[in-house]
Amino acid sequence: MVKRFFLPLLLISFLPGLLTAQQYMTETGHAEFHSSVPLHSFTGVSNNLVGLINLDDATVDFYVDLTTFDTGINKRDKDMRETLETDQYPFTEFFGKLVSDFDIQDSSSQPATVRGEFTIHGVTREVEIDGTLQKTSEGLELQASWIINIEDYDIEPPGILFYRVDENQDVEIEATLTETEKTE
Amino acid sequence: MKQAILTAMILGMLTTTAFAQMERERVSPGGPIDEMFWAPNIVGMSTVQSLPANNLNVTIMHNFGIMNDDIFQNFFGMDFGATVRLGADYGITDRWSVGVGRTLIHRLYDFRTKYALLRQTASNSVPLSVSLKGDLGINTNQNGFSFEDRLNYFSSLMIARKLNDALTLQLTPMYAHFNTPRDGLQDFYAVGVGAEYRLSRRWAVIGEYYPVIGDRPAGTEDAFAIGVNIETGGHVFQLFLKSSNWHTEQHILAQNSDDFWNGDIRFGFNVNRVFQIGKN
Repeated sequence: MVKRFFLPLLLISFLPGLLTAQQYMTETGHAEFHSSVPLHSFTGVSNNLVGLINLDDATVDFYVDLTTFDTGINKRDKDMRETLETDQYPFTEFFGKLVSDFDIQDSSSQPATVRGEFTIHGVTREVEIDGTLQKTSEGLELQASWIINIEDYDIEPPGILFYRVDENQDVEIEATLTETEKTE
Repeated sequence: MKQAILTAMILGMLTTTAFAQMERERVSPGGPIDEMFWAPNIVGMSTVQSLPANNLNVTIMHNFGIMNDDIFQNFFGMDFGATVRLGADYGITDRWSVGVGRTLIHRLYDFRTKYALLRQTASNSVPLSVSLKGDLGINTNQNGFSFEDRLNYFSSLMIARKLNDALTLQLTPMYAHFNTPRDGLQDFYAVGVGAEYRLSRRWAVIGEYYPVIGDRPAGTEDAFAIGVNIETGGHVFQLFLKSSNWHTEQHILAQNSDDFWNGDIRFGFNVNRVFQIGKN
């Protein structure tokens, strides 16, 4: 009786680990943000976006080291790092689930929605982000863009004497995730 | 048996949870410190700070007359007019920059270059930043001098260490040569001392001192300056009190006749602005 009851449970509990997972990963994804200040705007770019999508349990896990963002001017990079307090909060991350259906057999670009926790500056909020996913010969192509209101994350827009960064920042990510073995 | 199975089950679940989120890893946690100083100069003294590739730094330096006698009547020396150096430096690589400047006194043009030999790292694998500077000055006053006699040279080795988040110190062995002698002297030496102490991310206290070593022309004094930096993200404003009306180090070193400690104090300010030329 005991065996009959527990054994299947035992198997199920190990199942996610045992199955050959449909897992895709990148460490060189592209992330950028667009900031506007009075009279001009600038773009910060990083190619160090790390991301993982597991199609079995629909887990979506992305993070980027904020110090890798380059705005073209070192002073501005420093200003950004200080504003985001990257010494204390080096990463911005998303951890959640793919909540839309994705057909791995279909090679066209498919709308995708993820829901989960987005964290920056040590503040975590529930978010839903729309983008697209596409199965290609290389793996999974991901594109998404959304707007972050930095005040929601207790980020004080830097502003002294001359400019004040707009509180709404357009964020875009783009990555090609390749299939990986599930080993850690 | 039951216990064993339960343990196994929990372990199995734990493993799955552990797989769930990737471990967060920094990209280069111990790399070069990219701001030893906020500006390419403390007041007049060049800093180890290198200009990133494709960045153009424009520096407008001013100082006014000596603030003595009736400072309200002559408005802190400003009524005596400003001595201005207008300059621009451009980063060819992240370590090498070239620049040009023009100063009112002597209608001086100067051409300079700076190279970062070492850059202090956050991990301390490189404990110091070291940069080398060269400057060629040309006096273009209509004074009948030959071209050669108009030339002056400056070279310095800037050695700096960021001791903590707030304080950076710099020692600057320096050498100047003037083709036109003064009191029979053409070569001048000093070991300059400079510092930047950050009070916040916007404010810092700055200071520099040029103790001359060896022979010097009569009536010259060791130059000194103290001030504040205001960092606004794109600009660095520097407000200071200084001796010497010069902005070029060879002249501050060799031709300063102000005695700061005896009240020969000038107000001055620099505006530094970085522009990005080309793509990031």
